[in-house]
Amino acid sequence: MTQDTKTAVTLTVNGQTRTVLVEPRHLLADVLREGFNLSGVHIGCAHGACGCCTVHLDGVPRLSCLTFAIQCDGRRIETVESLGGIDATHILQQAFKSEHGLQCGYCTPGFLMTLAPYVSRQIERGEVPDEADIREAMSGNICRCTGYHGIVAAVRKAISSQLTESA
Amino acid sequence: MRPESPRHIGARIQRFEDTRLLAGTARYIDDIKMPDMLHLRFARAQSAHAKIVEIDRFALDDIGFKTWVFTGEDTRHLSMKAHQDFPEMQYSEQPLLALEKVRYVGEPVAAVLAEDPYQAEDAAEQLFIDYDPLPVVASMQDALNPAIPPLFENWTHNTFVERQMKGGDLEAARAAAHYTIRRRYRNKRQAGVPMEGRGVVAYMDPATRFLTVWSSTQMPHLVRTCISEELGLPESRIRVVAPDVGGGFGVKGQVFPDEVLIAWIAMQVGRPVKWIEDRREHLISSIHARDHDHTLEAYVSEDGRLLGLKADISVDVGAYSTFPFTAAGDPGMAAKVMPGPYDFQAYEATFRALASNKCPLGTYRGVARPSAVFSQERLMDDIAKEIGMDPFEFRLKNIIREFPYKNVLGFTYDPGSYEQSILQIRELLKDDIVAAAQSRSSQSTRIGVGIACFIEQTAHGTPDFARRRTPIETGYIGAHVQMAPDGTVTINLGLQSHGQGLETTMAQVAADALGVLPQDIFVRHGDTMGSPYSVGTWGSRGGPLGGGAVHMASLQIAKKLKTIAAHFLQASSDDIELRDNLAFLRDDPGRSVPLKSIARAATRNVDQLPEGVLPGLEAEYALDGPRDGTYANATHAAVVEIDIPTGKMKLKRFVVVEDCGTILNPLVVDGQVRGGVVQGIGSAMFEHFVYDEEGQPLTTSFADYLMPLAPEIPSIEVHHIETPTPLTPLGAKGLGEGGAIGPPAAIANAVANALDVYVPFTPLNASDIWELSAALR
Repeated sequence: MTQDTKTAVTLTVNGQTRTVLVEPRHLLADVLREGFNLSGVHIGCAHGACGCCTVHLDGVPRLSCLTFAIQCDGRRIETVESLGGIDATHILQQAFKSEHGLQCGYCTPGFLMTLAPYVSRQIERGEVPDEADIREAMSGNICRCTGYHGIVAAVRKAISSQLTESA
Repeated sequence: MRPESPRHIGARIQRFEDTRLLAGTARYIDDIKMPDMLHLRFARAQSAHAKIVEIDRFALDDIGFKTWVFTGEDTRHLSMKAHQDFPEMQYSEQPLLALEKVRYVGEPVAAVLAEDPYQAEDAAEQLFIDYDPLPVVASMQDALNPAIPPLFENWTHNTFVERQMKGGDLEAARAAAHYTIRRRYRNKRQAGVPMEGRGVVAYMDPATRFLTVWSSTQMPHLVRTCISEELGLPESRIRVVAPDVGGGFGVKGQVFPDEVLIAWIAMQVGRPVKWIEDRREHLISSIHARDHDHTLEAYVSEDGRLLGLKADISVDVGAYSTFPFTAAGDPGMAAKVMPGPYDFQAYEATFRALASNKCPLGTYRGVARPSAVFSQERLMDDIAKEIGMDPFEFRLKNIIREFPYKNVLGFTYDPGSYEQSILQIRELLKDDIVAAAQSRSSQSTRIGVGIACFIEQTAHGTPDFARRRTPIETGYIGAHVQMAPDGTVTINLGLQSHGQGLETTMAQVAADALGVLPQDIFVRHGDTMGSPYSVGTWGSRGGPLGGGAVHMASLQIAKKLKTIAAHFLQASSDDIELRDNLAFLRDDPGRSVPLKSIARAATRNVDQLPEGVLPGLEAEYALDGPRDGTYANATHAAVVEIDIPTGKMKLKRFVVVEDCGTILNPLVVDGQVRGGVVQGIGSAMFEHFVYDEEGQPLTTSFADYLMPLAPEIPSIEVHHIETPTPLTPLGAKGLGEGGAIGPPAAIANAVANALDVYVPFTPLNASDIWELSAALR
């Protein structure tokens, strides 16, 4: 493959707009990792089954290993780096920490990007969902270390802490 | 030796490593980038067993970009040698790239390099490899079939090794028995499957002739040793770094041929070389585990005393013996641990490692113990049923109660809480036991309760490895502790942390010994440069041995701090205590000196030191494991609900009562137990690497190889009993693996209880439950 087959796409990633040259086959995950130097995008299976590579595309969780960068021209992308900065200050990140919702950390960015919008929605609804509902919300993500226990607890804590504060 | 009033050991401290992992700023192997780096892709065997007729590179001539290709002919002089020094063991080597033959689907045949990873993949696909098929060993029956030729030229049959272990008088036990109960149990093939696959980056600096290898490994020092020995490089000029590692579970606890190969290729091409494994490669060609077939025969007295046990253990270890635990590792471990927590003094085991044209077998959390405990604990239930005893009562009648206990093979068990753990779990489950009994007449819904009581030998010491005669001959863990002039501390640890939280727990240990705060201690790990030689993180050794080594090294520094403080305070060093960054007089705490001042005196203002005290605040300690290790114990319980019309099974409850001695950090301990349990649930209900009769792998993606997902898993209930061991400095026993050991037995026992059937294997997937419950429909 040579330069000739590359196409310019403009992406707004974590608030920064840049144009990059991509081949049609380049995965969004690879372009974010290599072109934008975002190490928080992790590839766990590259076949859309584990959720490690989840990012937000126009605000919606999306698997960046099943998305070609060329499909994203003009779109807005957020990765885990945008969530709470280098100190990981987002309420869900802090809850992951206090509830031991992570061990090796490899699947963690994918879980955070999948669950952060879920947590926001539940806070807006003003209700702490039951355990089955929380587990269903993470059913597209695989964690091999925690047995999901700490992740479920973290989601519950992130939601309930906000509801208590606003009450 | 143990800390008198620990302030940080045992505290539920949130992990220091979490922030970078949560922020996305952690650096895993794929985040290692270097200028001019080449990307490597393997062309892998598509046949299970075949002669390589030709590797045709013709298509690469006009591919339009530069490529580099290496094959087995180029690396003919290099191989992995994982041999155990027993006369019964047939010798074999694993070439770094397949040489003349391929022996399993996924074996690397050629390494293809290009400037870009997409190009490397294109090029690897363009190699045309012509094979001549050979007869395939696709099962244990095939391996034992003399009509199928051996995998290796100098072999006479397809058994790597067959040996025996025995103790006591089995004939007498058989003669005295009222009941003889014989059962066969099978654990199918699966693996650890970390979410991050493997990967290697290597670079030799042409100026300094210094080789640096980054690898997603649990054992950097052993990787360094293997590279040095195979490539003939001085070990002092090799640095192996494990960056952040995205899960290991034993999978990354072997030295792989590609780690040596990629170092060698980087030297050939004179540029940095990177290889990142994809998920398919991981599933077919990293390391598999389990695949045990056991036949047990128990001799039991009329009143339900276990008198003796005979075991026949076969393990399908795949195509190659792996370094350092070898093909004999799994079957030998199963034979060794089969006696378990029960009191009997006659035992005989025959165990064998069978070769096949499958991915090589290696370690995975629990290493043979999940399979051994599955057989042992299924057998306990099957015996109880046959002789008409309650399974709890039968276990309690035979459980070991007095310690130290010397078992039938001569291993000494340190104190544990075997009986208490069974009694406690029976109490926790009493309502479920009633519900299960009441469901016995139901034709629609059955409830089953099953338990697994087990012990786990952890923190094995050097004598244990010497007995096994494995290529790994030592069991110590080293730690180097250093206090800087400002009073903060660096620990260089021989271990590697890949989720266990060692950056936090080791800091807790040193903080208590030194009187500083855990957050002022920086733990470096996973890097051979600067850390003492150690064999790596595996075998549930990090807490007891790593923690013990950190504690002992820290005490040496604490002693020096006290000597200097005594000089400053005009007191005896015996009267000094260290706490809250101060050295003070125990009986007069107002008289104190900041540790920072002492550290400064010891390193910068050394003119203030008392006479005869040398500058510096550094210490190193290498702690070996106890002769027979230290035995952690647990009882696990599963409650299942089976819908008879559909055969659908729900895991309703999973309860753990465990004893790992002193708990360093309850947050981390609970996380380790729960994570292990869910892996064990995967073993029990979902995970199975399937091969067809031609040795073709059929489970090559997460759509086929089923990992446990959140909705199928209940909250795991964890209860602790703390029986500190006298055998390690902190009283800690190993706990990393225990969670994964009990679930296959507990869940299968629950299914057997619910359906009143014989359950001889795992995993028990939906169609298995359908078949096991067929008689009830």
